[in-house]
Amino acid sequence: MVKLTMKTHSKVIYYITIGVLLVAFLLPFIPLFINSFAYDFRWPSVITKNATVRALKYVFYENSSTYESIFNTIIIAISVVVIDILLATPAAFSLVRYEFKGKVIIKGLLFAPIIIPSFTAIMGMYVVFLKLGLTESIYGVILAHILPTLPYMIMALMVSYSTVDTALEEQAAVLGAGPISRFIYIILPHILPGMVAGASFTFLISISQYFLTFLVGGGKVSTIAIVMFPFISGGDNAIGSVYGVLFSALAIINLVLIDFILKKYYKKRKFKII
Amino acid sequence: MWQKSRPYILILPSLIIIVTIFFGGLTLGLLQSLGLMGIGGDSHLTMNAYRQLILSKDFINSLALTLKVALVSSVLSGVLAIILVRVLFILGENRKTAIIRKVFQVPMLVPHVTAAYIIMLLFMKSGWISSIAYSIGITKSIEAFPSVVNDPNSLGIIITYIWKETPFIMLMVFPIISRIQDSWLEIAQVFGARRQEFFREVILPLILPTWISSVLIVFAFTFSDFEVPYLLGITYPKFISVYSYNMYYNGQLSERPLALAANFILAIITAMLGIAAYKLIKIRDFKEVRW
Repeated sequence: MVKLTMKTHSKVIYYITIGVLLVAFLLPFIPLFINSFAYDFRWPSVITKNATVRALKYVFYENSSTYESIFNTIIIAISVVVIDILLATPAAFSLVRYEFKGKVIIKGLLFAPIIIPSFTAIMGMYVVFLKLGLTESIYGVILAHILPTLPYMIMALMVSYSTVDTALEEQAAVLGAGPISRFIYIILPHILPGMVAGASFTFLISISQYFLTFLVGGGKVSTIAIVMFPFISGGDNAIGSVYGVLFSALAIINLVLIDFILKKYYKKRKFKII
Repeated sequence: MWQKSRPYILILPSLIIIVTIFFGGLTLGLLQSLGLMGIGGDSHLTMNAYRQLILSKDFINSLALTLKVALVSSVLSGVLAIILVRVLFILGENRKTAIIRKVFQVPMLVPHVTAAYIIMLLFMKSGWISSIAYSIGITKSIEAFPSVVNDPNSLGIIITYIWKETPFIMLMVFPIISRIQDSWLEIAQVFGARRQEFFREVILPLILPTWISSVLIVFAFTFSDFEVPYLLGITYPKFISVYSYNMYYNGQLSERPLALAANFILAIITAMLGIAAYKLIKIRDFKEVRW
């Protein structure tokens, strides 16, 4: 009995610790939300007395560049995802299935942008981008976003490929399936969840870019990060907060959507197997 | 022939993009920093930019500041992540801890620009915590609240990184713990070990290589990040990324080689950190074979 109370007592301490840290991690969101709809919210008010839609109205109604920036952000992110999938699908397959000369070096080269910041390369490349007309252009921005995202897509697909049973493919080959139908009917269903996870991560990295977008786009290619920046660096706090909420919402919607798709996919597969 | 070249052909598209744009960009940056490919057509090999940087007090101060902030934020994130992982392990796996684990991942989803802004709203002199402190009578005026944002100690930057990177390190460490078989814990419990002891004796040594490599990744990231110090930093000394950006775009053409030289030094340091992290992951994989 004594031992039991001691055990629950110590658990309570751990729950309190985790509770305090959890609050500390979530606390920062509170001023962001208050700021986005509070009327005349200034020091030293802790909570707001009056609410207003001024900032919301400005962001979604008066400032026409908001929709353009949401559109650009999503177009850039989706283009990067599609290009990454096209590039990474064969590359990851080769890295998982084959042993070949120089594999370690090639892997090192492909994964380097994870750790070496892409802006160092883009600044060096700027002169060339300028000559090719890729600066201040959405194509240049898309090209730049491929660098920090492609390694993650390759990684996600490599994990997926390594779980595919090669015996299944051999059976299909024996039954006369060519390489293309083997890929579509056997490999693709297996790697799809990894592809979706990689796509979600790529999307997240792409929409979060401010510096790369600014370097290449020069402020002419407006994404949410670019449009919100003047407001958060010493501008209107209410408007900055609305953009902050919008920006985070986009990231969270992306993840929830991906989670939903993956769950649905796995459920469907289970039925098939049974 | 096809059989032999197939692995290379499949990799080629990715490799071309990374080698031309990424490594091409790094090489062009290096060449420009060495005085070659000068815009004025005057090009001759010189180490001038590097000599100037090393002799420049501004650059050395920037480098010192960046190293200090990256070191402090990565180590503190790492320690906090271990504490959280330990408490969650001791509480055991149930519905409640599963939700807690998910909620702790939320800051990872917030883009860095927004994260810096969130911390700014919370900690600036006219921010939310300052308001609370005044309302309950801890501070007497707006000026009495300590500078956390845009302060010489870079506290705001460090807090932002801890908030963003602790969940990342936790995410890297969790899969290793979940792979440890329940039977091990049962055996340990038969011998009288509590979850606390099991964590210290068994789990800690197993997660150590992954922990170190993720702290190194966080270090490399914070060392080269731009958005957070650009928003929350002070005018002098600047973070290396901000320093190099200002030199390149706001300085004169003659300063561009300096900016690119600073970039190249940054790339070399992060590359070395990356190799160290990779070596550690290799050690882990080698150990895992023997599990």
